[in-house]
Amino acid sequence: MYTELHVRSAFSFLAGASLPEELASVCAEREMEAMAVLDRDGMYGAPRFYLAAKKINVRALIGAEVTSEEGWRYPLLVESRQGYQNICRLITRMKLRAQKGEGQISREELENGASGLICLTGGEEGPLAHAMASGGMDAATKCVQQLGEIFGSRNVYVELQRHYCRDEEVRNQRALEIAHKLNLPILATNGVCYALPEQREVLDVFSCVRHHRMLATAGRLLARNAERHLKSTAEMQKLFADLPEAIANTQVLASRLQFTLNDLGYQFPIYPVPDGRSQMQFLRDRTYDGLLSRYGEDNERARKQIAHELDVIERLDLAGYFLIVWDIIRFCARQNILVQGRGSAANSAVCYALGITAVDPVGMELLFERFLSEERGEWPDIDLDLPSGDQRERAIQYVYERYGKLGAAMTANVVTYRGRSAAREIGKAFAFDVEVLNRLTSLVGAWEYKDANDTLERQFQDAGLDLQHPQIRKFCELCLRFQDLPRHLGQHSGGMVVCQGQLDAVVPLEPATMPGRVVVQWDKDDCADMGIVKVDLLGLGMMAVLEDSLKIISDDYGEEVDLSRLPANDKLVYSTLQKADTVGMFQIESRAQMACLPRLKPTCFYDIVVQVAIIRPGPIVGQMVNPYLKRRQGREPANCLHPSLEQVLARTLGVPLFQEQLLRIAMIAAGFSGGEAEELRRAFGFKRSEKRMREVEYKLRRGMEKNGIIGETQETIIRSITSFALYGFPESHAASFALLAYASAYLKCHYLAAFTAAMLNNQPMGFYQPPSLVTDAQRHGLRVRPIDITCSDWLCTLEKIDGKFAVRLGLRYVKGLRGDIGAEIVRERGIHSFTSVDDLKRSVPRIQKEELAVLAEIGALNKLGNQRAFHRRSALWQVERTARSSGPLYERSDDSGADVFVDSSLDDSGAASSPLAPMNAEQRLVADYRGTGMTVGPHPMSYHRAELQKMGVRCAAELACLPDGMHVRIAGGVIARQRPGTAKGFVFLSMEDETGIANAIISPQLFEKCHIVVVHQQFLLIEGQLQNQDNVVSVKSQRIEPLTITHAPTSSHDFH
Amino acid sequence: MSFAAIHIPDFIVQAIVRSEPTLRGRAVAIVDGTPPLWSVVATNPAALQIGIELGMAKSQAAQFTAVEIRHRSAAQEKTAHEALLDLGWSVSPRVEDTAPDTVVVDLAGLGVLFGPDEKIAHELATRSTGLGLNARVAVAATSIEVAVLAARGFPGVTLIEPGEEAKSLSGLPVHRLLPSFEILETLARWGVETCGALAALPVIQLSERLGQEGVRLHTLARGAFERSLVLAKPSVSFQEEMELDDSVEELESLSFLLGRLLDQLCARLAARSLSARAIGMEFDLERSFEKDLQRSARSGQQKLVPRKFEKILTLPVPMRDAKLLLKLVRLRLQADPPSAAITKITMSAEPDRPRTTQRGLFLPASPEPEKLELTMARLANLVGEANVGSPQLMDTHRPDAIRMERFRLAQAAAAGGRKKKLNTSPFESAGKKTRADIAGAEKPANGFRFFRPDVPARVELRDGLPARLFFNGLRGEVVAVAGPWRTSGDWWQEPWDQAEWDVEVRFSTSSQTSKRAANSFHSAKSVNSRGLYLIYYDARQQGWFLRGSYD
Repeated sequence: MYTELHVRSAFSFLAGASLPEELASVCAEREMEAMAVLDRDGMYGAPRFYLAAKKINVRALIGAEVTSEEGWRYPLLVESRQGYQNICRLITRMKLRAQKGEGQISREELENGASGLICLTGGEEGPLAHAMASGGMDAATKCVQQLGEIFGSRNVYVELQRHYCRDEEVRNQRALEIAHKLNLPILATNGVCYALPEQREVLDVFSCVRHHRMLATAGRLLARNAERHLKSTAEMQKLFADLPEAIANTQVLASRLQFTLNDLGYQFPIYPVPDGRSQMQFLRDRTYDGLLSRYGEDNERARKQIAHELDVIERLDLAGYFLIVWDIIRFCARQNILVQGRGSAANSAVCYALGITAVDPVGMELLFERFLSEERGEWPDIDLDLPSGDQRERAIQYVYERYGKLGAAMTANVVTYRGRSAAREIGKAFAFDVEVLNRLTSLVGAWEYKDANDTLERQFQDAGLDLQHPQIRKFCELCLRFQDLPRHLGQHSGGMVVCQGQLDAVVPLEPATMPGRVVVQWDKDDCADMGIVKVDLLGLGMMAVLEDSLKIISDDYGEEVDLSRLPANDKLVYSTLQKADTVGMFQIESRAQMACLPRLKPTCFYDIVVQVAIIRPGPIVGQMVNPYLKRRQGREPANCLHPSLEQVLARTLGVPLFQEQLLRIAMIAAGFSGGEAEELRRAFGFKRSEKRMREVEYKLRRGMEKNGIIGETQETIIRSITSFALYGFPESHAASFALLAYASAYLKCHYLAAFTAAMLNNQPMGFYQPPSLVTDAQRHGLRVRPIDITCSDWLCTLEKIDGKFAVRLGLRYVKGLRGDIGAEIVRERGIHSFTSVDDLKRSVPRIQKEELAVLAEIGALNKLGNQRAFHRRSALWQVERTARSSGPLYERSDDSGADVFVDSSLDDSGAASSPLAPMNAEQRLVADYRGTGMTVGPHPMSYHRAELQKMGVRCAAELACLPDGMHVRIAGGVIARQRPGTAKGFVFLSMEDETGIANAIISPQLFEKCHIVVVHQQFLLIEGQLQNQDNVVSVKSQRIEPLTITHAPTSSHDFH
Repeated sequence: MSFAAIHIPDFIVQAIVRSEPTLRGRAVAIVDGTPPLWSVVATNPAALQIGIELGMAKSQAAQFTAVEIRHRSAAQEKTAHEALLDLGWSVSPRVEDTAPDTVVVDLAGLGVLFGPDEKIAHELATRSTGLGLNARVAVAATSIEVAVLAARGFPGVTLIEPGEEAKSLSGLPVHRLLPSFEILETLARWGVETCGALAALPVIQLSERLGQEGVRLHTLARGAFERSLVLAKPSVSFQEEMELDDSVEELESLSFLLGRLLDQLCARLAARSLSARAIGMEFDLERSFEKDLQRSARSGQQKLVPRKFEKILTLPVPMRDAKLLLKLVRLRLQADPPSAAITKITMSAEPDRPRTTQRGLFLPASPEPEKLELTMARLANLVGEANVGSPQLMDTHRPDAIRMERFRLAQAAAAGGRKKKLNTSPFESAGKKTRADIAGAEKPANGFRFFRPDVPARVELRDGLPARLFFNGLRGEVVAVAGPWRTSGDWWQEPWDQAEWDVEVRFSTSSQTSKRAANSFHSAKSVNSRGLYLIYYDARQQGWFLRGSYD
């Protein structure tokens, strides 16, 4: 029996071509009991390999190829936990002192960390081959002797690989001599780089990517043949028929390698508790303190729930974890950083009492077991939302400081090949020229929905590639094979892991591209799967908007708004939501949400929770949306599935909408415990397995039968659970988001100017782009002032005009204006007001001509001329002169004050009278969009309203008043295009005009016909049937035509 | 004094249409790029009208059935340009080669010969049609640039009266003045779109803003820019073409025509005291679909055989002996004749200074370069062009991959080698070094004799190992075997997949036929004895071959 002990997976980043799961699966097919994956300088693929192997009863042996200072790679296998810790530390050490993606280990380091490791002499990149090539037999013998000294002679195996290569066999014969001479065991391996022979092509392209070569010129950098695949015992026995000992030794060595990732030795850090109390006692005290402030003294239900939760936490020994998260929350509170826990943590009354979350789980009857259960044996998952940007960075740095460089790290994000990146890199290897590559990658986009025709092949055809050409066919084939293969390691946006003591003994750490950041080699799922506790410090744009809004309100309005004390049932908020007037509001602003709001008509906070959760794939795929809305409108009875479930489903009118309801249904109808119910959710979740689902379903049916639920009712319940579990949304998570949605709605309704300024200052975020946010705010009566060099700050600010607040656009919206120049402009302006373009240039000498020209073009310099007729072109005329450095003769004399050879056309302010004609409306529009991406003037459509009316085009605001079924023509600028995965190929367009947003629906057939127009044209004329039901208005398109409204480069937010 | 500017609009398209008159009046799109990825680089107005856009992929353009797609031809553009110059020279010796699509003719003194300027302009337009080009002609009294701008900006024949320059040009877009990108952008920001608008700007203030370039453009826009004519230099390219009414198939008939062309070329070279470093030949071949189809079926390729046949005769030293050159050309064509009858011959000479080297008195005698070249050509004629030269290893795992480089005398090679060293890419040198290192590190015990081409063989296997070998009538028992050594690659274009074996073969001597065959194939020494061979199985051809033998 043969065991493959030298395999590189695709996590060797461009040096292996198969995912660990595929390797494990082929290993099982080849009937091998174990296999060792040795990725390059890392443990990147180890968790995925371990988990995949575990499922199919393959023993996952671990190791790594570690790069030496001399350039060779030691293949190291982990024998024991100490070996694992050593190899993790070795890799961490070499990585942290080098540039990202580099690093070498010294002999001394290896000597100090060799215990528990077994070293192979390697293949063509190994120490033996290297020594033999450079110094012949003597050097090779010496090299192997040295390995014996470092690792101990018992722990060195002379590795033999046979890939049908002459020079390799020469080396093998010499290696055999050395093994014999030094009395070392020999070991057969296949130096595997891919699971199946055909994947050699992927490896060849990877080699090109790695060496920045093309296939045609890569020569012998490419593989000699396709023999580095995973071979069966029979194949290997045949290859090594003359050396049966080499095969037998694989078994012997495999049996020595007892370490698996099951035995990581990870410990969560201990929170330093004062006064010698236990962590648990300290947590209890803090929780009960919170209980009093959150619930008061008399809330017995809350007290009981908290007691229950604390008991569970104590039994699971998780007090330290809660205290550490609480510690981060306290830091944020001290630093005035807005923070809110979300996700399943919001199910916990302890989290609520500790101030980690803001949703009352007792009041909302949320299910604690969704968060934490004794049966599951998993770490809880607490996600903290922080304002994106600097505030979140401060929280992250705090965790680093608190737990030390080797005690905390960010989780990684494995960047994988997708359509565009694959096409680009393979295209380069195929030597396609840059223009073709750009055309190709710009077209290889993908809508969320893909119809049968929307294949990669079709996209390539659209890009002008001839698929009959064999090379192009091969290119397309490779693009498909590249999908999901790892490209490099990135940094996860917020996941942090912490460890008691040395995290580098658990998983190797490496430097992130961002200075001061360290990342672990595993992504967040791997960390969770390996039982490493993760705290997600996520940046949420809306948190930053709320925080900024509060500051603006405090500074400009002179009012203090406390988000935790917002009026609970603000009428204006609810009436606004009912009208779906929600542009800019968190989570309820999308087209789909807007289409639902007038039907759902929220009247209380819980309705917002439902609203947030209902437009999700779960309810949509599970066909829950329409029944719920019909019941809500009283059009069908709110029957629960079974009388016993009334308590669970009554709140959602008998329609299960949340994951918690699903768990409770299982608990009530089938007598499941909380943990079993959570197990059920997982069984039907994303990583579903048929076997596990069948087992759980059987258990569910048996439980229901016991409770007398049989027949049709049982089937309905089973159907609901199985269809919904996949995409369900936790109620606690929805509630956390609903809080933010309500807060954003409240601020928008009552402090529109502040909210708009904050939204504009935190772009990009949300569903709409800045021009749409501005247009929406203007429709609500807010005045938005253009950028003006004499009063705009870097950020958007408020000004008071006629007693009303207006938003002044900030310099941040000037395209191409550098941040430091913007800051300098504001600083200099604080010292003295600019009097002319020349004065501006003198005050901010580093400003470049192009920056000045953009400022002039958008009208930001209009106030610098002292004539009334000073317009954008006057400023441009002036900028051109100012930016051109004059010779010394033309400089003003400072000493005498006399002007020498000064242009006679200059007036007192130094501004020349301009011979240029002022811009017309269209030219101003083009300049605004080109220079700022938006206009604060009239909407482009408004300039053509008269002609459009003659054409019978209705404006967006009119549509709501027209009858359902009417044939209409609408026109507007496209602000969003969507093709959701759940919409069976339908495309949804949001089109904006000066009166509002109109929605159009395009059938797959029409989309097929008008694909180019729909995707590429910014202004469209659409003719079709009006659908106006329950105040939800859209046009079912029948004909689509492009419109020429403006040459301004408007843009849209496309969800491809 | 007045000047006539002759401009060919859509020059790239017209250059093609000129050689293919049937395209006249049709929508034509010209594509260019790296095969197989072509995009549209030029069109005529008819093509634009039906929706063709510049930059469009060839496959997209092909969806418009009414458009004729042709590939861009630098050669045809060059000959069209030469024809344009000829057009100018046909009326005056004072011609300026302004741009590939524009020339300017000094009309001073031509009135006596041709009449008034207007008549000359119309005459030029008419003559351009005779040359297969559709030219725009503009005559300006004083300014060359005004004439050029008018020819580029206005269709047909334009006459600009003295004093009317600014008015005539005022409607032209400013980009016709060919300003720099930066200035064009500034003008666009200013809203200055026409020459008239630019001319209206105050020139001093303009100079403060756009510098001397601004002033120049301003002067141009006013039609006041004056400069001298830059006379076109006589051509440094030597090319002769011959279109044949009846296609030629026989080499003898062709030789006569080639000789004539070579005589003309050599005479022109001699007049300029130059010699030819290389002779380029391009033959247009007659299209025969039946033959093409047969050929493509034989070769298993989808694409049709090309319509052109090109040969370049690179000479070791510059020469202009027409007879010697004809011999070399004939030998080259004998060795590799065109695949079809010839309809057009284009012959060009790459000029160079004649050889003036004096031989060293004490240098060893080496053959005359001209004679050596003749000998090499004769050899190539005998053994095939690809089999003459110095073999060079290629950077690939493909076994037996070599390319033949031109054989040079030691001196020339040394000089060339030095030169080449400078131009060698780091990769090439690194690759060669590695190869050499490996060769050095593992010096083969035996020499190896390649069989070229590889010899087809039949192999009987026993337990998966070669047991008997049959080739060229020989039969041998395999007594020892090592292998297989597998290589495969080039999977993206022309894949190969081979398994090599080193075999020791003991030949059977029973048959007289075998003996004879062996004698004819191999040295008699190997018969009745053992031989060490390298055989391989080609998985793509599914057959066995002998690559060579070990000494």
